[in-house]
Amino acid sequence: MTQVAVAENPVSPLVPIVGKIIKIVTETPDVKTFHVSTPDGNKPFTPAPGQLGMLSLLNVGEAMFSITTQGPNHLEFAIKKTGVLTDALHESEVGQTVAVRGPYGNGFPIEFCKGKDLLFIGGGIGLAPVRSLINYCVENRDDFGKLQVIYGSRSPADLVFKDDILTNWPQVRDMQVDLTVDRGDDTWQGNVGFVPAFIEQLAPSPEGDKVCILCGPPIMIKFCLQSLAKLGFKNENIITTLEMRMKCGVGKCGRCNIGSCYVCLDGPVFSLAQLQTMPPEY
Amino acid sequence: MKAIAKTQISELLNQVAREYNVLVPVAGADKYAPYTPGIELKLNSRTLLPPKDVFFPQTEKMYKFSTDGMEGSLDSLLTTPKPQLLFGIRPCDVKSIHCLDHVFLSKGFVDEFYAAKRDNTFLISIGCNGPAESTCFCQSMGINPQDTDEVDVHLFDLGSQYGVVPKSAKGEAFVAKYAALFAETTEEVPAVAEFTLNLELDGVSEKLAQMFEHPLWEEVSRKCIGCGACTYLCPTCHCFDVSARVAGTQGFRFRCWDSCMFSDYTRMAGGHNPRPSKKERVRNRFLHKLQYFPERYGDSLCTGCGRCLSKCPVNMDITNIIKQVREVDLV
Amino acid sequence: MITEKMRDVAKDLLTKGEVNMVIGWEKGTFWYNSTPVFITKAEDVERLVFDEFCTNNLAKYLLDYKTAEGKVAIFVKGCDARAVNRLMQDQQVQRDKVYLLGIPCGGMKEAAPGTQPQATEGLPLVEKCQNCTSPNPVVFDVLLGDQVSVRDTQNRFAAVEKLEALGTDEKYAYWGEMFDKCIRCYACRNVCPACSCRECAFDGNGLNWLGKQNNLQENQMFNITRAMHVAGRCIECGECERVCPMDLPLMAINRKVIKDLNELFGAYEAGMDVENRPPLGQFKLEDPEKFM
Repeated sequence: MTQVAVAENPVSPLVPIVGKIIKIVTETPDVKTFHVSTPDGNKPFTPAPGQLGMLSLLNVGEAMFSITTQGPNHLEFAIKKTGVLTDALHESEVGQTVAVRGPYGNGFPIEFCKGKDLLFIGGGIGLAPVRSLINYCVENRDDFGKLQVIYGSRSPADLVFKDDILTNWPQVRDMQVDLTVDRGDDTWQGNVGFVPAFIEQLAPSPEGDKVCILCGPPIMIKFCLQSLAKLGFKNENIITTLEMRMKCGVGKCGRCNIGSCYVCLDGPVFSLAQLQTMPPEY
Repeated sequence: MKAIAKTQISELLNQVAREYNVLVPVAGADKYAPYTPGIELKLNSRTLLPPKDVFFPQTEKMYKFSTDGMEGSLDSLLTTPKPQLLFGIRPCDVKSIHCLDHVFLSKGFVDEFYAAKRDNTFLISIGCNGPAESTCFCQSMGINPQDTDEVDVHLFDLGSQYGVVPKSAKGEAFVAKYAALFAETTEEVPAVAEFTLNLELDGVSEKLAQMFEHPLWEEVSRKCIGCGACTYLCPTCHCFDVSARVAGTQGFRFRCWDSCMFSDYTRMAGGHNPRPSKKERVRNRFLHKLQYFPERYGDSLCTGCGRCLSKCPVNMDITNIIKQVREVDLV
Repeated sequence: MITEKMRDVAKDLLTKGEVNMVIGWEKGTFWYNSTPVFITKAEDVERLVFDEFCTNNLAKYLLDYKTAEGKVAIFVKGCDARAVNRLMQDQQVQRDKVYLLGIPCGGMKEAAPGTQPQATEGLPLVEKCQNCTSPNPVVFDVLLGDQVSVRDTQNRFAAVEKLEALGTDEKYAYWGEMFDKCIRCYACRNVCPACSCRECAFDGNGLNWLGKQNNLQENQMFNITRAMHVAGRCIECGECERVCPMDLPLMAINRKVIKDLNELFGAYEAGMDVENRPPLGQFKLEDPEKFM
């Protein structure tokens, strides 16, 4: 999207600042949310919803993560165990020194979303980037129309941000949360089924120029797009956020390109209409 | 035009070496290296290794860190080098530095490590009066092999002497300062000798934009062995990796050249790879050179220096690929 | 003319559908370049050539097609054929999936870049062919052309012996100077028919077996590991040294290993057949055990 990152950039593009993990929330067996502040208790930087941050354990490695939300004095990264760095992060405890740099990327098109009804769709850890925008909408409730969240995971134990999806968000005015799991368990009372089928079952209307913000595993996205097309959503109003391997975050190191776009600078947020003009290489 | 006898070049370099760290094209090693009196220069052609490492070293430390249990700290290793003078680069390599400037100095973020060296470097180029190597095709890439403006001082090859032309305010001052070494000449710059490798680039970028799914990529990628020789010898390839070296509680993070031809280049932690086979990787390399970079920065990312062609183990020839693209009938 | 025969047999195989692809050589950018080509249509066989510039060993390309449907035909010189044997011995290539078109090879030549076309008789042999012990294919389905005689290979270990004569410090200085030049493009590894791991330890995602810094220490680690990994399996095709953009004398290391292996375990030539296992790929009671 064309929105330009305006947040201040207090750190050198490639050299991070040190931070501390001030809180760790265990979301699921393989997802934890890390709250990060500077050593003197400030927010490392102020990202726009949907922007990215480069997080590192100094003696392990560095990787790009979406910033799932922020507080007045901290940033939150919801991280799934998938490799060397994320394994080490999951072993970390409160007080651990980390390094951070950012914010990177374009973020969600907030001006474009203002005044419109919004449909958020997330699968598994894919709710992490979307949550930054959901929380922004909740905090600026009057700027947006009706809000609906459709979220699914493999099992009830794999649902992330349980406080938000079960308690906080359903209490917000004109906000609806619909949950599904691929496989239920003894206690699960909600829907059982894949997200795309659940979307068709719920049949959210695209009327009123409704915007859909979607993130999840590639296979889920693929089938959700078909469901959304059936429901009549316009390509311009379907927005997703992409993941690519990144090393610099500032459009220099080369590896996150899709055609002539760099996901770290020109993304990670793209509309389906934009993606259709780009090579399918992500 | 002012001129300096070729036999006087070592005298000029001896004098400027008092003021600058002088980097010269060295014969044998076939790369740019610090000047020392008596060192054998390669002034008749481009070097095998491009000058990009002067600004963008193959390995560059960015910051050091120390850890102590949960504690840790870091310090930037960014330094400003002593003023340096890069002597004898060819117009193709001048163009490559222009391309690197686009990458490292524009689009919202300035790469301080590159900028520190770039800002501190005085450029002196030497023109070619024709193809210096059989693999040269800079002329087809829109480069004037004899002349360039994006330097401080340019030298025309006049046979037994170099014509000396300042190209910037710093260059004017330089020519004035070393005026004792320069004499006036009426000698004319000779005509450019004919190139053996020629191609037509018009419309190639636009055509490639419609050829992402074309079977040509499967075909041309078959012989590629997926090594990084082309990318490491290329004067404009600039992709890098960031990695760290840790020994106990101390360590440093560095960046180093990387190659889009390597299998793990785009592979993500979970295993997904957007460019899983050599077809996608070869396609990306050529589209980056000829379509993506022109779209993003308005310049071709191939300068026609011919280094990749001269050293590719399987004779992967970008000029031939451009010709094949031109022959494709899009219907 | 071998080239005529190549085209005829390739056309025949493709037309009858006996193979889906023929791997050979075609003319490259200059008259002194021939380069690998992959023919899938009978009408394209005219691209095939065999001349004194078909230096590339084609065998490794078989790995790209090992799961492909049907058969692949491949032209093999002596060194290519030994490479195919090696790959078959490591279960990388199945004999019934390949059709081997043998070409006895008089040695490849090189011309100075930029020179005008000239008769190839006067041109020097490329380095890698000067001490070739097996110019005739050791495995094939059909042989195109007559067997050639083996050249005098007395000098096969001359470069090794010269280096062996140096003192330890001199050797270290020599190889330090060489490995310092390495740019770690991995052309030597990627072209090598003995390097057939699906995933190389040096490409490991985050495993850091080898640091990515370009410095003497890491470069040495890479080059020595590579040489030891192909120990006993190197078929002396010389491709690593030929493709090295920095002209490192990689065959001197490989031949040193061959020479040592021959002295320790008895004469062995990798890839001459598929039955004889490489010395480091088998255990014999009479093997030396000095290190135990």
